[in-house]
Amino acid sequence: MPELPEVLAWLLKAALIYGGLLGTAAGMTLAERKVSAWIQWRIGPNRVGPWGLLQPIADGIKFIFKEEVVPQGANPVLFRLAPMFSAVPAMLAVAVIPFAGDLSFFGHSTTLAIADIEISALYVVAIGGLGVYGVILGGWSSNSKYSLLGGLRASAQMVSYELSLILCILAVVVMAGSLNLSTIVADQAGHVFRWNLWSQPLAFVLFVIATFAETNRHPFDFAECEPELVGGFHTEYSSMKFALFFLGEYCAMVVMACLTTTFFLGGFEVPSWPEAPWWIQLPAFLAKAGIFLFLFLWVRWTLPRFRFDQLMSIGWKVMLPLALANLFATGAVISFF
Amino acid sequence: MAELLFYVLAAGTVAAGVGVIACRNPLFSVLSLLGAFFCLATIYLLAGFPFLAATQLLVYAGAIMVLFLFVIMLLNLGDEEQYAERPPFGKRGLAIAGASAGVLLLIAVFSVGFGSVSASDGDSPAVTSFPDESIDDVQSIAELLFSRYMLPFEASSLLLLATMIAVILLAKRQRGSGAEGAGWPWKKGVEQ
Repeated sequence: MPELPEVLAWLLKAALIYGGLLGTAAGMTLAERKVSAWIQWRIGPNRVGPWGLLQPIADGIKFIFKEEVVPQGANPVLFRLAPMFSAVPAMLAVAVIPFAGDLSFFGHSTTLAIADIEISALYVVAIGGLGVYGVILGGWSSNSKYSLLGGLRASAQMVSYELSLILCILAVVVMAGSLNLSTIVADQAGHVFRWNLWSQPLAFVLFVIATFAETNRHPFDFAECEPELVGGFHTEYSSMKFALFFLGEYCAMVVMACLTTTFFLGGFEVPSWPEAPWWIQLPAFLAKAGIFLFLFLWVRWTLPRFRFDQLMSIGWKVMLPLALANLFATGAVISFF
Repeated sequence: MAELLFYVLAAGTVAAGVGVIACRNPLFSVLSLLGAFFCLATIYLLAGFPFLAATQLLVYAGAIMVLFLFVIMLLNLGDEEQYAERPPFGKRGLAIAGASAGVLLLIAVFSVGFGSVSASDGDSPAVTSFPDESIDDVQSIAELLFSRYMLPFEASSLLLLATMIAVILLAKRQRGSGAEGAGWPWKKGVEQ
């Protein structure tokens, strides 16, 4: 049996990280509307609380009180399961991300990650890949042509881009020689130019593009695609089930931003200060991840949407060969120099 | 505790396996199979093989099952009646498929035999014995895969390559103009 301080440390870390994840996801719904308003020269939500800061809470209450509609002919079991399938994987993936280095409470020293397992990079990919089930099942079980098309598009898209995503991660794993996220971060410690961003620029760019496709975000949001598919896979969803899909999407964005930071921006490392205390490292991590969260919003309100065949041909004919070549070159350089 | 968990998971695996063949709706069959994979992955985890567990989830649950779902939804298989339809392959196609499968099987059998010959220090490499506990170290798995089990590894990659080529061939068939089977390369100019 583990000691009491260890159990307490686990509980505290889990509460902190999951509270932070859900809070950030809720905050992102507000940030999305604020940033879109800012980019489009509008005001945005400003009625609930100071500067509209309580808007996510108002939205949540509104979702709870909305009527739940299950369309006729929908598969009742899968229709209810799909939102859970969508939200849970993104929340599970965050468990292995190291948010800060050593910290100690109650005389127990630990890293700020819920589970610092040996194969965490593989775990993230394996769990993250399950998010597609929510979208497919939601699309199919709704018994609606728009939902079905959205679900099919999403599954094709997510499976295609997952390959490039994994190959980019593998290049980083080859650099660090480990599948452990903490080791990958430690490998980038020290100078700012030790970040994988500089040694793996191609993998970085491909990874960021693939995260947009994996999270179904603009300019690759074909699972929703309002002009063609009404609302895509969640056309028929209402109330809290819709809110769960929404939550899953935003949690996935937060996780992807954290992963990009961990793999390419040195994670929680503070440049030229490897021994920084955890209360410096945590804000450093959040600041780096915040850049990518903003990028998600910025791109959404700036770029037009691709066409679906363009998306597929970019994924298979450009991104995948480039990622493969990058991995091959990385392996060759590592083994011969 | 771990033992109890194992029996629960084993029962879950069997139940899900029965569900695969018992469900009338093919979509639920796929979901049962997914459940079986999850139980298996957790058993691997209990046995102390996290790498295997993660790979199981990544490859089977994350990719292959998604494609199963994709196909089932595209074909819109509502009930079992649809399976009564046979695919429109001729005897020739069946013969080619059988022959290539036989060749691949032979390669696999030969390469496993090869592996047991090269491992002349007594222990059989095929089924039971792992060299030591540190097998789950990713590095040692990789070393084994690229030295002792090189041939089976290459044979299975050959099998995957053959599958890919077959799939491309099937997909190309749709581009054929006019009559049924016009796109088959070996039928060009034979019938019609």
